[in-house]
Amino acid sequence: MDKQLIARGVSRCPALKFLLWIAPWVALFLFGLYAAALCLIKGLNQTNMDNRFAFGLWIFLDLTVIALGAGAFFTGFLLYILKLDELSSVINSAVVIGLVCYSGAIAVLMVDVGQPLRAWFTFWYPNVHSMLTEVTFCLSCYLTVLAIEYVPIVLRNRKLRQIPSLLVFEFELHKLIYVLAGVGTFLSFFHQGSLGGLYGVLRGRPFAFREGLGLWPSTFFLFILSAAAVGPSFILLTTWMVQIITRKRLVRPEVLQLLGRISGTLLSVYVLAKSVDTLVWINRTSPETGFQAWQYYSWKPFGSWILVAEIVVCGLVPALMLLMPKLRCRTGWLVTGAFLACMGVALNRFVLTVQTLALPTLSFDRFLDYTPSWQETATFLAVVAYGVLVYSFSFRYFQLFPQERELKLETPEVEESELVGRY
Amino acid sequence: MTSANKPIRAARYGMTIDLDRCNGCGACMLACAVENNVPPAHEAATDRKGLTWLRVYKVDNGEAYPGRRTAFVPVMCQHCGNETPCVHVCPQQAVDIDPATGVVGEMPQRCLGCRYCMAACPYHARYFNWWDPAWPLGMEKMLNPGVTPRMRGVVEKCNFCHGRWHAAKEAAAAAGKPDTPVEYTPACVEACPTGAIHFGDLNDPGSTVAKEAAEPGSFRLLEKLNTQPKVYYRSQKEWVRQVASAPRPSAAKEKDRG
Amino acid sequence: MNATRRQVLMFAGGSAVGVMFTPAPWRLITDTALWSENWPGIPAPPRGEIHTRFTNCSICTAGCAVRARCVGDQPVELAGVAGHPISRGALCPFGIVGHHLPYIPARLKEGPVGQAAAAIAGGLAKCGPAEFVVTLDLQPGRTASWTYRRAMGALKNGRYIAPSVDAQVAVDLSKARTVLSFGVPVLDGWGTPGIVNAARAGFRLIQIDAVESRTASMADRWFRVRPNSEEVLAAALAGRISPAQAADATGLAVAEIAALAQELEQGGPVLVLGSSQLESTVGTVVARHETPVPGEWKKSAPVTDLASLPDRSVRVLLIDESMPGGYLQWSAIARKLVADNPVVVTFAASPEGYARHANYALPVAVYPEVSGDVPPAIDSVASTFRIASPLVSPPSGMVNPESFIATAAGLSTGDTLRERADAIHKSARGAVFTYADGQSQPLKDMKPDDFWKVLNAGGCWIDEPGAQTAAKLTFGTAARPPEEESDLPLAIVVARETASGIPLLSKVYRESNLRLAPGYVALNPACGLEDGSQAIFETLLGKATVGVTLDSGIPPGVAQVSATPALLDLCAAGARAKVVRS
Repeated sequence: MDKQLIARGVSRCPALKFLLWIAPWVALFLFGLYAAALCLIKGLNQTNMDNRFAFGLWIFLDLTVIALGAGAFFTGFLLYILKLDELSSVINSAVVIGLVCYSGAIAVLMVDVGQPLRAWFTFWYPNVHSMLTEVTFCLSCYLTVLAIEYVPIVLRNRKLRQIPSLLVFEFELHKLIYVLAGVGTFLSFFHQGSLGGLYGVLRGRPFAFREGLGLWPSTFFLFILSAAAVGPSFILLTTWMVQIITRKRLVRPEVLQLLGRISGTLLSVYVLAKSVDTLVWINRTSPETGFQAWQYYSWKPFGSWILVAEIVVCGLVPALMLLMPKLRCRTGWLVTGAFLACMGVALNRFVLTVQTLALPTLSFDRFLDYTPSWQETATFLAVVAYGVLVYSFSFRYFQLFPQERELKLETPEVEESELVGRY
Repeated sequence: MTSANKPIRAARYGMTIDLDRCNGCGACMLACAVENNVPPAHEAATDRKGLTWLRVYKVDNGEAYPGRRTAFVPVMCQHCGNETPCVHVCPQQAVDIDPATGVVGEMPQRCLGCRYCMAACPYHARYFNWWDPAWPLGMEKMLNPGVTPRMRGVVEKCNFCHGRWHAAKEAAAAAGKPDTPVEYTPACVEACPTGAIHFGDLNDPGSTVAKEAAEPGSFRLLEKLNTQPKVYYRSQKEWVRQVASAPRPSAAKEKDRG
Repeated sequence: MNATRRQVLMFAGGSAVGVMFTPAPWRLITDTALWSENWPGIPAPPRGEIHTRFTNCSICTAGCAVRARCVGDQPVELAGVAGHPISRGALCPFGIVGHHLPYIPARLKEGPVGQAAAAIAGGLAKCGPAEFVVTLDLQPGRTASWTYRRAMGALKNGRYIAPSVDAQVAVDLSKARTVLSFGVPVLDGWGTPGIVNAARAGFRLIQIDAVESRTASMADRWFRVRPNSEEVLAAALAGRISPAQAADATGLAVAEIAALAQELEQGGPVLVLGSSQLESTVGTVVARHETPVPGEWKKSAPVTDLASLPDRSVRVLLIDESMPGGYLQWSAIARKLVADNPVVVTFAASPEGYARHANYALPVAVYPEVSGDVPPAIDSVASTFRIASPLVSPPSGMVNPESFIATAAGLSTGDTLRERADAIHKSARGAVFTYADGQSQPLKDMKPDDFWKVLNAGGCWIDEPGAQTAAKLTFGTAARPPEEESDLPLAIVVARETASGIPLLSKVYRESNLRLAPGYVALNPACGLEDGSQAIFETLLGKATVGVTLDSGIPPGVAQVSATPALLDLCAAGARAKVVRS
């Protein structure tokens, strides 16, 4: 019944099936909204955060989705600035993912602060020394950029194209795409870095504190590198998942492999930089503050396995997987590598958020643990549901994958179930 | 007029706390709450979600009886003087360090409640209002008019009883001496029954705190972080000095935690 | 002129841009922040003239001098009076928040006054020949206590009982070089904080304690003995039993006991607290002069002991628990009551004490609403007279126990405090310290009216010091009954907080783990229970729900109970208990 809205040349499942697909996500989203409303109305006592765990699940979520959503800016940079034209087949999807990640992160941030009505104070009384000011400014600007980049995708909908003024508007807007890509890259560079800088400047938390270059601690650069490394992996993963769920071919396998190669290259650079940084931290930065590095890993469950997991299992291993052509051309290895890379970044953000705060700093501290409350978890899941919903709608009504039509023409009669595992 | 030409000497208010005298009674914690309109705990609050601008901790030397020794350490905002962690990280300048007094002040009216300053503070001296304050019926009549009550969603901390400093400043100005650093007494200093806490201007070499801070038995918490806190702790006992300034809990506590 | 639509739009657009260059919109935006600063429900502090008033704290017998900062009529902050010769400007944590006592949510606000009066009259009429009318006074030594004694004396079968306290003997900490304390919380809630802290540097404190109490942790030496074996150790030190026998019972090594004995010999003068076996060195204990009373008051009932009353002999029991003080186990009281409809009336501010058992609980005014005097403290070498003068008015409907009991007994009384003050003035002894100016003057230089005024505006009369004597102090220890046969695993150590129920005390009870809250039990972490959980506390006398705190300063096999009256009803001295998950 919504056939008019679906682009020509591609097929989408019947409207009823689509409704069945989105129904549980809508339910999850609404439940999460309820949890968020509880937090806004009753206050943050609805969460299990406390004076020691000032940051909890939500900040971890924010940092992780922003890192994963970095594919948006990085793919744009690679496509429009470095002219890697193969990526034009995933750029729309990347933009939607980016939009979803950033808007979700900002929505959760609004619930996470104690006084959301004062959110504009950061713009009004900015503190030039604070990384969080920089993050706020850049995130707001970049969300605007993403929204502007999303508009053309919307406007190319089959029905909306029929309105001439919108068509012209979209055409003109597309001329700005290079500017937008450049601005987006610039902004992202800074806010990805500042998110890392959030922790690196904490001289009161020697676990997180790093030396660096000038104003910027090493975590600034490591976060940029890791975000750039994992962005393409996440796009790879999501594209693969969408192909599985919709049982369609959406991109050529070479595109996915290219994404994997980019990711692998950057990941190896990241692993090298991170290893150097960790060694400097263990041998110089931390001991100089009076905290020996080994003591951070003497508190269960945060043993030294976590460091190994972050750098080796979820860093070096996926980097190698994605760099080796023989492995990269097999979907199983490609997807596993991408998944591990994403896990590595999530683990890194988790360690810097939660482990930093769990560790005692004073002799009369205790090592404390933290489990998110259901309200926190529900809000987190609402963001996931929101992402799935926006992506589902975008996939259904907008042309997210330009190669889909030609790929459909190439293999029109093949049973869809045979397509699984082809790569 | 000569007073207009004389440079105003900046004060650097600080404290010395004698850990050999502190008996952990908690009078200072309560006097602080009374002076600063800190509400009683919400019924769901625990020691992890409470509001204790000043909190007294119990430390021990980690040994079992009969070698076990215990001491009490009051901890409040240390008013760090060097690259004050919380001042640097607040995104909307709701925290500032006053150059005239050295006091790190908090503006609850501007605080967004992002809690970044709480992550930055190594002394756990900052507290978040997880609930709206609630005083039992009738007790709201006993609020101190010199201090604003805060609402939920903002961070608060010790400010060396800035309300009392203001009152002292006004009294000095009314007496015709507006420029000199004033002497005043924070609530905890006044309340301590053993006289363990001393307060004064560290920049004044003749003051008690300046002299005591310079003594060999004086130390500060987490000195190697180089935050330059203004609260000095004193003890004649070596084990107290080692344990209180150590950057991790004692071995026994780790065993307890298991 | 005809404005076209275009012109109007251009004007509007231009104004919109132009107004951005004025402060107006930015001020308005800034003002929206005010909405988030003062939403409803956040109380505004009262406004009013700020002035200072003085009183004495009546939460315990230390009776520390209090300087109250008042806004209008309301005290908002309490502090000590610097330079006071006794309290030295110190207040304990409970005294700091004493002004919150009237607003405790659970406070008794009304009671069946008429019915209680009728019931008492009925009980008095019904009294048989071997039956008694008893007033139980939990804070004896006050002027009101004299009224009770006179009231009971006016009745043919009236009796006055109080927890046994030797009111006329005090300790002189300044004369002691060693203080040997058997479980007495010397540094935490025992004497007058100002006196103890001033004298602390002058004596070596040896604490005999079953758990690492606050005093034990601050003492110069702590000997950890098994619970309820303190008297055994004292007997060994007094030479009545051998050190080996004591070592068995206490768990100390023989060498430790011998070393302790030697330390006492060499560390004199020694003040012994909490044991009836050992004598303190002469000079460390003084016999105070009694604070003068009007001559005609001396014709009153003597102070008797609950144990001296026969079982089933009390027809009417009047309990004054209006002042935080001692507590007698209800089971010890209940067996003294007649079997058929005894009348038990309690005068209380809290429903947690005897109001749980009494027929009638009548509400009373509390500090700082009520006028009353504070008896001298255990460590005050001179007798004192100080009045806790009211800083606020009590709510309506409160009962004055002194006048109520006097009326019930048919005794007519005037302003008893004034009469007492006049009697003191007549003695012409001692000096008066005025808080407002920090000056002291001899009593004989003052007129009676001025004396009365100073007492009510913030002052204290201090007698001449008493004569030194040697005495065995029984403070804090009742004779311990033999340990009941029981297989319950935990030995109980009881601790009591000076005052409870004040919500702001959550700072030290719940928002930190500094003090053990009433209704909580501290156990060794090996007990297997979770910190902060609820548990069932069971003794041979019954069960109650308690909170659990884990503390490695408590040895395994011991439970430290921060007692409420309900828990005290369950814990006879020497009792054992079991604490299980609830």
